[in-house]
Amino acid sequence: MKKTFIKLSIVFFSTMFVVSCGKDYLNDPAPTDAVTSDVIFGSRTGAEAFISGMMRLLRSQYTDNDSAGLNSIYYARSVKGNDIIQRATWFLYDYANDNREPTYRRTNFTWKFCYDVINQTNTLINGVAASELSDIDKKELIGQGKALRALFYFQLAMEFQHTYSYDPTLPAPPIYTELSLEGKPMTTLQEMYDLILSDLTTAVADLPETRLGKSYINKAVANGILARVYQVLGNWSGAETAARAAYGGNPSSVLDAASYQNGFNDLGNVEWIWGSPQSTDQSNYYWGAPHSHADHYVLSYQGTFFNNDFVALFSPTDVRNMFENGYGVPENDYRHNITTKFAFTFDADHPIIRTAEMILVEAEAKYYNGDPQGAHDLLWALQSNRDMNAVKSTNTGADLLEEILVERRKELYAEIGVEWFDAKRYRRGITRTGNHRVGSAANLLPDDKKFFLKIPQDEIDSNDFIDESVNANR
Amino acid sequence: MKTKFNGILTLLLALMVQISFAQEKTISGTVSDETGPLPGVNVIVKGTTNGTQTDFDGKFTLKASVGDVIVFSYVGMNTVERTVGNANTINVTLEANNLLEEVVVVAYGQQTKKSIVGAVTVVDSDVIEKQQVTSVTSALQGSVPGVNIISSGGQPGDNATIRIRGIGSINAEQEPLIVVDGAAFNGNLNTISPDQIESLNVLKDASSTALYGSRGANGVILITTKKGRIDSPTKISIKSSLGFADQAVDYHDLLDTDTYMTYTWEAIRNSNQYVSGQTAAQAGTNASNDLISALGYNPYGVANPVDANGNLVTTNKLWDTDWASHLFNDAAIRHEHSLSISGGSANTSYYVGANYLNQEGSIETSEFERISTRVNVDSKLTDWLNIGFNTSYTTSTQNYPTQSGSSYQSATQWIFTVPSVYPLYRRDETGALIYDNFGKPIFDYGNNLVQALNGSRPALSGENAVGALTNYDVLNNRDNFTANGYAKIQFTDELSFKTNLSYERYLYDGYNYVHNEFGYAANVGGRVSQDRDITTTIVLQNQLNYTKSFGDHNLSIDAIHESNKLKIDALGAQGVGFLPNVKVLNGSTTPENVSGYLTEERLESILGRVAYNYQNKYYLEGTFRTDGSSRFDESVRWGNFFSVGGSWVVSDEEFLANNEVISFLKLKASYGELGNNRGIGYFPYKQLFNTGWNQLDNTGVLLGGVADPFLKWEKTASSNFGADIRFLDDKISLGIDYYSKESVDLIYDKPLAPSTGNESIKTNIGSVKNYGWEFSINSRNIQKDNFEWTTSLNFSFDKNEVTELTQDGFINGTKRWEVGKSLYEFYIREYAGVNPDNGYAMWYKDVLDTEGNPTGEQTTTEVYADASRNYVGKSSLPDVIGGLTNYVRVGDFDLNLLFNFSFGSYIYDSTYAGLMSGFESPGRSASPDLIDRWQNPGDVTDVPLLLQSNNDFNSTSTRFLFKNNYVRLKALNFGYNIPESITGKIGVSKLRVFFQGDNLLTFASHKGIDPEQSISGTTNARSYNQRIMSFGLNLEF
Repeated sequence: MKKTFIKLSIVFFSTMFVVSCGKDYLNDPAPTDAVTSDVIFGSRTGAEAFISGMMRLLRSQYTDNDSAGLNSIYYARSVKGNDIIQRATWFLYDYANDNREPTYRRTNFTWKFCYDVINQTNTLINGVAASELSDIDKKELIGQGKALRALFYFQLAMEFQHTYSYDPTLPAPPIYTELSLEGKPMTTLQEMYDLILSDLTTAVADLPETRLGKSYINKAVANGILARVYQVLGNWSGAETAARAAYGGNPSSVLDAASYQNGFNDLGNVEWIWGSPQSTDQSNYYWGAPHSHADHYVLSYQGTFFNNDFVALFSPTDVRNMFENGYGVPENDYRHNITTKFAFTFDADHPIIRTAEMILVEAEAKYYNGDPQGAHDLLWALQSNRDMNAVKSTNTGADLLEEILVERRKELYAEIGVEWFDAKRYRRGITRTGNHRVGSAANLLPDDKKFFLKIPQDEIDSNDFIDESVNANR
Repeated sequence: MKTKFNGILTLLLALMVQISFAQEKTISGTVSDETGPLPGVNVIVKGTTNGTQTDFDGKFTLKASVGDVIVFSYVGMNTVERTVGNANTINVTLEANNLLEEVVVVAYGQQTKKSIVGAVTVVDSDVIEKQQVTSVTSALQGSVPGVNIISSGGQPGDNATIRIRGIGSINAEQEPLIVVDGAAFNGNLNTISPDQIESLNVLKDASSTALYGSRGANGVILITTKKGRIDSPTKISIKSSLGFADQAVDYHDLLDTDTYMTYTWEAIRNSNQYVSGQTAAQAGTNASNDLISALGYNPYGVANPVDANGNLVTTNKLWDTDWASHLFNDAAIRHEHSLSISGGSANTSYYVGANYLNQEGSIETSEFERISTRVNVDSKLTDWLNIGFNTSYTTSTQNYPTQSGSSYQSATQWIFTVPSVYPLYRRDETGALIYDNFGKPIFDYGNNLVQALNGSRPALSGENAVGALTNYDVLNNRDNFTANGYAKIQFTDELSFKTNLSYERYLYDGYNYVHNEFGYAANVGGRVSQDRDITTTIVLQNQLNYTKSFGDHNLSIDAIHESNKLKIDALGAQGVGFLPNVKVLNGSTTPENVSGYLTEERLESILGRVAYNYQNKYYLEGTFRTDGSSRFDESVRWGNFFSVGGSWVVSDEEFLANNEVISFLKLKASYGELGNNRGIGYFPYKQLFNTGWNQLDNTGVLLGGVADPFLKWEKTASSNFGADIRFLDDKISLGIDYYSKESVDLIYDKPLAPSTGNESIKTNIGSVKNYGWEFSINSRNIQKDNFEWTTSLNFSFDKNEVTELTQDGFINGTKRWEVGKSLYEFYIREYAGVNPDNGYAMWYKDVLDTEGNPTGEQTTTEVYADASRNYVGKSSLPDVIGGLTNYVRVGDFDLNLLFNFSFGSYIYDSTYAGLMSGFESPGRSASPDLIDRWQNPGDVTDVPLLLQSNNDFNSTSTRFLFKNNYVRLKALNFGYNIPESITGKIGVSKLRVFFQGDNLLTFASHKGIDPEQSISGTTNARSYNQRIMSFGLNLEF
C-alpha cells in the first residue's frame, strides 16, 4: 500500500508539470526584436521611427560595395561621365558604360533597392492614412512618405528609360501605391512623372520647415527634389520657384566657401540642405562612395581620378580646385589627378542636396524664363564665392547656359552624377577626352541606350505582365 | 587539470567498487564458442565487481568462493552462469544468441531487431572506432544506404551536411532531427566526442520516425552514448593517437608568373585591337606600355617586361609568390587521447569517459581543440524503481581563420584570385622591400597610399590573406552541458511508467579581432566583436508502457506526453579603436554596436504506439503523434501525424523452416505521414517591423518581409517496402528497401516580382517526391581462428521530382523548379564553344516560332543575355551513392578498409570559371588551361580569346559544369594486437597498435576541388578536406 502510494506520487509530480503548462504554454513565445504595425501607426513617434528606418535604409549595405544605397546610384552616374576616371576596382564597368544587362548586379540593385524603398513608403502612407493620428500629424508624415516615394520613382524613371523629353509615351517601370503580391505591368514615363509630381506637390504643400534632423525631409528638401524633376521635365517656372524655395533665395547666406575644403563629410554644413548622416556605430563602412573611393590618403579603395581636361577648368584660386598629382605620375597617366575634396572615415556624412546646386538650378531656370541677367547674377554669386579672383564672364545666350552647366560640374563633381544627369536630360552624348583609362569605347552618343538599364531578369521571371520582349531593342 | 580529473575518477570508482574478502580459491578455465577459444569474454562473480576477461586463448583465472555464481557474458552470445563447486576448473562454451534478439534503440524506446517493421540502420561503435571523425555524423558516410553526406571542408569541428532519403524540403530544414539519449539536440554536434558513442541509429521511414511527428520528415538520427553493464568488471580503456594531415586532393593548377604576364599582355592587346579598333601593331605597343599600369605591380623591375610583340624581355623576377605554400597547412597535427572506465555491480552500472582532441585544419592557424567528459549511471534502486542519470560537459575552441567563401581574407578564394605576380611583403616603387622599424618586412595589403607602382593591387586590395591569418583572430568557443535524468516505475510486470527530464545548455562565444594597424579595420584602430549566445533546451517526457502476452498474442502499448522548450538568449557587442595587442572590448575607444534578443520556441505533444505480434512471426505496429508548435498561428498550430507498419517473418513458416539456402527472410511495409517545421525561423507567420534601423539618435524600424499568416506544417507521406534476407547459415545477408516520400505544402519562399518591393513570401506551395532503392549486402567470407574476412556493401539510388507547383516554374539560381523535374537539375545557358572567326564565346539560343514557343531547333549567339536557359539533363544529385567495407584479420593483424562513392552528379565549378575569366579584369589568378585560347581567326577551340574588356565568356553556363563521380578511401585502419602472452605479464588485457588513415585516396572525375562540395552542386571557394594519417595505441586493463 505504501509502495503504491510512493509510485503514484512520483507519477503525480511528473504529470503536474504537464498540467501546469496549460494553454498559454504555446502562446507565450513572441518576437522580442520586432514590433507590430499597431505600435508603428499608433502614435506619431511610432511612425517617425518608421521614417527613421527608411532614412537609414537609404545608406544601408544593400547588395555590395558598388550597390549599397542612394549614394552608389549617384556615384555610378558620376563615373559614367568624362570628368571622372575610375580605377579598375568597384564601379569599373559603370565607368566603361558597360553595365546594364538584365542579370547584372547594377541592374538588379537599382531596381530592387528603389522598389524596396517605395514599398516602405507605401506602407507608411497607407498606414498613417488609416490610423487615428491627428490630421496635422497625418499631413506631415504622409508628406515625408510621398516625397521619398517620388524621389525613388524619379530614379527608376531616369535609370530605366530615355529621358522624358525623348518620348513620354515610352514604357516605364510599374507603379505601386499599395502593397501588392502580384507584379504589375509596365507603365509609361508620362504616368510615372504624373505620380511623381502629384506626390511632390502634395509634400511641398503639406510639409513644414521643421524636421527631426537634417537627414529628414522637410519643405525645402521636397522643393529640392521637385526642382530636379522640373529640370528633367523642362518646367522652368516650376524649377525656378522650387529651387529658390529649397535654398531660401539668398545665396550669400547659404554659401560658405571655406567649408568646401573641410572634407565633405559634415551634415551640419550650412550648404547642405539634405544629407545622409553616419556615425561610428551606424556606418556603411567601405560602401560609402564617393568618399571611400575618392580619398587617396586614407586606406580604402583609391578608385577616383580626374580627367586633365576637367581639372583644367579650375583656376588656381578656386576653393574647389583640390586636385593634385599625388602619385607623381606623368600627365598622360590616368592617375595624374586626385582630389582631396572627400575625407573618408566611417562616420563621413554624404551630401544629397546642397544649396549651390539649387542656386544653379534657379539660374538655369531664369535663363529659360527670360531673365538671363538674373541667371548670370546668380551664377556669379556662386562663382565669386568660390574664387576670390574670379572674373565675371561676358557670356550670353547659349554660352551662358553652357557656363551654368559647366559650373554645375565644377561645383558638384563626384557627388550626384551631375554630368550624366545633364547629358541625359539635354539629350547630349558624353565624349571621353584627355587621359582616360577607358576612352572612346565608353563614349555615349546623344540618346544612347547606354543611358539606361535593361529590365532585370528576376522581374521578367516572376512578373506575369512582363516578359522577355520588354528588353527587345533596349 | 588532468591530474585533478584522475583524482576525481578514482574517488568515484572507490565509491562504487565493493571489495570482498570472503574465503576464496582460484578458478580457471577456457571459454570458447563454435569456432574455438573466445577472447574478451567478461567473467564475473555475480553480484560483485570481482571479474576479469578471457585472454587471447580464451583462458581466465578468477578468485571465487564455493557457492558463488560466475557469469560469462559476451556481446552477441547468450550469457551463461555457473555455480562454483569443488572443481577448480570451469570450461564454458558460449552459443551465439539469435541475432534477432539484438535490441535496437528506436524512437522513445527499444525493440528487438526482429520486431522492427520500419527502415532502421544501426552504426555501432565498431564502425565509428575504425574512423577518425571529429564530428560524429561523418561516420555515417559510406555505411548507411540512402544517406548522402557531404563533408564540410578543411576546418576541423565543422559538421557535415546530411540528407536522408533525398531532399524533402526546399526552404525549410532538410537536415534530419538529431536525438541524443532520447532528447532532441539543439547544440553543436561537434561537442559530442565519437568515442563516447555506443551507436548511431538512422531512422528512415515513417514507421520509425512518426513518433517524432512534426520534426520527423527528414529522418532521425538517434545518438546513444555508452553505458556500463550490470555485473561486469571494471574496464579501463585508453586510446591515444597522433597524426599528420595534408590536403585530400590537389588544388587547381595556376599559371606561372612569366606566362601570366604574356597572357595579360595578350588580353590587353586583344581589347585594344578588337574592342577599341586599334591596328595590330598599335594594339601590341599600347598593351606593352599599359601592362604594368593595368596590373599595378611590376615583379620584373624593368619598365615594360613584355615587349610590343608579346615576348618577355627578362625572366628575372624580384618576387614570385606561391600563395598556397603560405596559406595551406600540409603538415597539420592531430592528436587525440581518450580514457574510459566502465563496469557495473549487481544493481548499478556506470560509464565514465573523457576525451581530448586537438586537430589543426587544412589552412594555417586553423585548429580545433576539445575536451569532453561524460558520466552515465543507471541504478536499480528497488525491484520496482530504476533511476538513471546521464551527464556530459564539453568545452571546445575553434580557431577559425576565414578560409571559405568570398570575403577578402578568405584563404581559399585568395589562392584562386591573387596571382603570383603580387608580392607577399610590401615593396617600394623600385621593387625593393620596405621594412618596419624592427627591420622586418611588412605584409603587402595592396593599397599603399599614393604609391604609383607596386602600391595598388586590383584584386582584393586592402587585404593580405597571409597577414590575415596572424593579424585577425576568429575564435568559436563552445560549452555544452547536458543532464538527463529518469525514473522508471514498474507498477506490475506489465505496466510501467517512466519520466524523463533532459536539460541542455549550449553556450556559443564567437570572438573576432581585426588588427589595429593592418587590414579592414585599420582606419578605425582595429575592431573586436563578440557574440555570446545561450541556447537552453528542456524536454520533459512522461511515458506509460503496457506489455502483455496472451498466448501467441504479444501486445505493447506506449502512451507518451512530451513538452519541448527552447530558449535562445543572444548578446553581442562590438567596439573599435584599440592599442596594439589589446584585444578585449574593455580596450575599445568607441563602441560600434550592441545587440541582443530573446527567442523562445515551444512544442507540446501527445503520442502513442501500439505494437502487436502473433507468434513473433506477424508484426503490426501503429504510431500516432499530435504536435502543437509555437511557430505557427494559433488557428493552424496543431498537426496530427501517424504511421502503420507490418512485417512477416516468412522463414518462420513451415515451408521455409530448415531451408538450406535461405536461413532468414522477413518482408516489411510501412506507411505514414510526417511533418516538418524546422528551418523557417521562429515566427514565420508574422509580418513585423524590425528594430535596429536607427538614424543617429532617433530609433528606427523597417518593415520586414511580407508574411503568410496561415503558414502551416510541411507534410510528408512516406511509404517503405523492404526485405531482409540471409543465406547459407547467415553467412550472407541482404537488405533491400524501396521508399517513396511525397512532401506536400512545402514551405517555400515563393518569388514575387521584385517591383512589388518584396522579393519573396514564405508560404505553403507545391510538393516534391523522393523515391529510390536501397541495398545493403553483408558477407562473412571467411571465418576461421586465424583468418577472418568480411565484406559489406551498401548503395542507394535516389530520385527527386517536383510533383506540384502553383505556377509554371521558379528560377532559383542555377536551377529551375518545374513539375516533373528534379529540384536539382541544372537550368542554365548552354555553352556553344567559340566562334572561330572572332574568338568570342557563343551560347545556344532556341529558335522560336511565331507564337514565341521553341521549335526545337537552336542557333548560336554571342550575346549571353539572348541565349536560352534550358534544362541540361544534368543534376547535382548523384544517381548512386554508397560504401564498401572490407575487414580482414590474419592472426593478430587486422585491416579495415572503407570506401565511399558517388556517381552521376554534376558540379558547377565557379572557382574554375574564375580562373578561366581570361583576364577580363586585370590581376586575377588564371588557369594554365588558357593555353587553348583562341588566338587567330580560324582557330577551333573551346576557350575564347583573352580580352581585358567586360564580357560574359565565363558567365554561368554549361562551360563550367562538370561530371562529379568519385570513389574515396575514406578510412583505412590497420592494427596489430600484441598477444596476451606478452601483455598479460604487464597486467594489460589488450594492447593494440594501429595506423589510421582518412581520405588516403580520392579518385574523382573532376580535378582541382574536393568532390564533396554541396547538395546543390555549386562551389564557394571552400577549404579542402584533409587527408589524415595517424598512429595510435589502444590499451585496456
